[in-house]
Amino acid sequence: MNLLAADARAFFAAARKELRQQRRYPTLFLGLLFWPVLLPASWVLMGHAYSGNDPQALAAFAERAGSTNVAGFVFVGYAMYMWLSSLLWGVGTSLRQEQVRGSLEAVFLTPASRLVPLFGPGVGMLIPMSLTFVIMGIALWLFFGVVPPLAAVLQAAVVVALGMPALYAIGSLFAASVLRFGEVGPVVQLIRGMFVLACGITFPVAMLPIWAQVGAWLMPPTYIVDDIRRILLRGASLPDVAPDLAIVLSLATIIAVLAVVVFRYLETSARRSGMLGRF
Amino acid sequence: MGEVRAAFAIARKDVQTFSRYRISVASMVFTPLYQFIVPAFLFGAAFAVNGRAAGLSATLGTDDLPGFIFLGGVVAGLISIAFWGIAFALRTEADAGTLEPSWLTPTHHETFVIGRAMGGLFWFALSQIALWVIGIVFLGLRIRIEMLFALPAVLFAILSMVGMAYLLAAIVLLIREANFFVDTMQFAVGTMSGFAFPVTLLPGILQPIAFALPTTYAIDLLRVQALGSRPLFDPALEYVVLIALTAVFYPLGRWAFARAETTMRRRGMLSQY
Amino acid sequence: MRDPAVETRDLVKVFERGRRTIWQRLRREPDRRDRFRAVDGIDLRVEAGEIFGLLGPNGAGKTTTMKMLATLLIPTSGTIRVLGIDPLARPREVRARLGAMLSGERSLYWKLTGRENLEYFAALYHVPPAETTDRITRCLVAVNLSDRADDYVERYSTGMRQRLALARALLPDPPLIILDEPTVGLDPQASRDLRDRVRELRAQGRTVLLTTHYMEEADQLCDRIAIIDHGRIVALDTPAALKRTIRAEEVVHLEIGVDGDDAALLERLERAGTVARHERRNGTLAVTAHCASARDFVPAAFDAARSTGTTIRHVEVVPVTLEDVFLALTGRGLRE
Repeated sequence: MNLLAADARAFFAAARKELRQQRRYPTLFLGLLFWPVLLPASWVLMGHAYSGNDPQALAAFAERAGSTNVAGFVFVGYAMYMWLSSLLWGVGTSLRQEQVRGSLEAVFLTPASRLVPLFGPGVGMLIPMSLTFVIMGIALWLFFGVVPPLAAVLQAAVVVALGMPALYAIGSLFAASVLRFGEVGPVVQLIRGMFVLACGITFPVAMLPIWAQVGAWLMPPTYIVDDIRRILLRGASLPDVAPDLAIVLSLATIIAVLAVVVFRYLETSARRSGMLGRF
Repeated sequence: MGEVRAAFAIARKDVQTFSRYRISVASMVFTPLYQFIVPAFLFGAAFAVNGRAAGLSATLGTDDLPGFIFLGGVVAGLISIAFWGIAFALRTEADAGTLEPSWLTPTHHETFVIGRAMGGLFWFALSQIALWVIGIVFLGLRIRIEMLFALPAVLFAILSMVGMAYLLAAIVLLIREANFFVDTMQFAVGTMSGFAFPVTLLPGILQPIAFALPTTYAIDLLRVQALGSRPLFDPALEYVVLIALTAVFYPLGRWAFARAETTMRRRGMLSQY
Repeated sequence: MRDPAVETRDLVKVFERGRRTIWQRLRREPDRRDRFRAVDGIDLRVEAGEIFGLLGPNGAGKTTTMKMLATLLIPTSGTIRVLGIDPLARPREVRARLGAMLSGERSLYWKLTGRENLEYFAALYHVPPAETTDRITRCLVAVNLSDRADDYVERYSTGMRQRLALARALLPDPPLIILDEPTVGLDPQASRDLRDRVRELRAQGRTVLLTTHYMEEADQLCDRIAIIDHGRIVALDTPAALKRTIRAEEVVHLEIGVDGDDAALLERLERAGTVARHERRNGTLAVTAHCASARDFVPAAFDAARSTGTTIRHVEVVPVTLEDVFLALTGRGLRE
């Protein structure tokens, strides 16, 4: 029990360090205002261009996306994009930086659990991420007049909370693999691109060819985005999406186990070869 | 003559160095594909009625969805070269320490902008060809002979892009948070030029800015001439404005660049990194 | 008499620290930025065909001076002539005639080969295409890099990169070459090698102006040296003449165990020689003294110690170096 408490402390220390580092980069916070609002807003306007306010076109969209609310559809999708993006970048780069600077080795010298550097930084991103969601909600209301009912918002928050383990597991699996590849940037682009294309971020999953749809429904973000849209835009409730959430949690477990296995494997091979600094 | 050769050497060096980063070369095609082209295409297709982009037709007078997206992508690609390929790349050289020895040579400092623009255009052409091939094979993009009529608009877009690059280089060499500036401004300029949707859909306060950008007219002329979409203004007038804006941006950019250079020489910023 | 290769008069460079915000400018608030005089009135005359060294500690203003000569910095005031040309009025003419190696290995393209680097810079130096291949070959031979010319620079050692930077400086076939800390970061073998190259440049009739904070380098390499400190020249002469100025043949370093006051001891030592510097740390007094002969000074020092109740723990006798000249002139060591 004592060890667990100590690990928890180490865990939050890692998270706090991450937050402190973020504070040193003011443009990071400007970016927090800029991207989550302007990127989806531009896609909403693209939607306007594509629909041309033509009732038939909007009906066609609703048939594929489940709602005529283009702005709501896009903003929910982009919230997921921002979340994924910051996790992939954040956990990946912070672990990589620790590796390059040699501080990963320093963490490994402490008795703290090996998993602290793997999962700690993601926790530090909770606060900026929640802030992003709030900003996006306000923008959706101010610019496009979309205000979902409070009950729906609260239920969506539950979906977000339940989806969190899955997303952190993805971030950690990614981070562990990045240690092997070395370069973070291009790999983030590639993985993020895959999610953008597969998980229904800016367009309905129904637009994909069948084989791609099968792949899409193996990824937790696809379920989470879809469930949030159903709750916020189509009046579904938590029990309606419960089966999906069960799938998400199971996928989360599998991915987390995979992340730990990959990380452990890299750590052991590093200890054997004495190349912790570089893996 | 020496300057021309120097410009070609700069372009060649850029092509050589960049080609040695394989992943970056691949991402030149992959990034626009996943960030914009494919999602935009599928998003647009989600509004199709009986396989026809009726909504787009109501907005613009053309139902050629892939054509609309790819032509926007052409100018977006040019804007990205001005921002990343020229301005930010010069800053990277300053940070890396290679700008200083370059500026110790008798080559005119402006030639570095021109040379980089030439190298950038090489990659631009290459990536556009790759993207268009993908578009034709997978996304139903059709090449039409009318598209050739849009070439003068592309030419002016390139010229105004170089003018803009001078201005950007001047800013990016002097400010601290160059990365953030380039990232956000590229998005702002691209969006306000209407690469993804017509500028008439922009909020009213942003429209004057949109109409002050030469790229807005370049994109519109491209689409009008290649797809027969509804123009913003009379195309002849748009040409006049495009040429006039290019004529303003170019000397303005050169002036700003010269100013930035003097400031750097006065403050000793060339190698403080 | 030939024109000097470099001539400066009352050269001054003032840097402002921090920045003035637009708000301060608009409100016309007084400028409260720190002003730092990096170069504070330097008069220099480097004759054609000599190796001239600027010797001084880090931050003395050497690099700033070099950058003003190389057209990279605009002086605050003063005049400069490089090969008879004013770099402020005609910077590109100066650049065409000047070979410069300022920031060494960082200034190369690591993803290009050595030869590709030189090809690129040859074009920037406006070397005629017909001569380019030949010129590059000669420069590579001059720095002894011919066999590795087609490797990527990222695979070079630091010394090789430094030599490639020197080869680049030779591309315009310049009558004047300026080198800023050419051997910094190199191992002794690579440093020696680079110094040999610099001597060859003089043998070819070129003028070399270099900065260094290694006194041995300045001593061995330079025909004349300007010692520079806090942006000013404190002495200028040949190495031999500079060493003669302190009127000593030998330098004695002493370590003396002292418990109480050391004034009496220092006073006695001062009678036997010149105490250039003394520093007390944890009960040990370190003294550097200049003297005509250590054979007379050392026994006198032991006498002084005995009579003041202190103990000499260590004695070292060395010949006079430029370090001692700098110490005598500024009261500080070169590496402080």
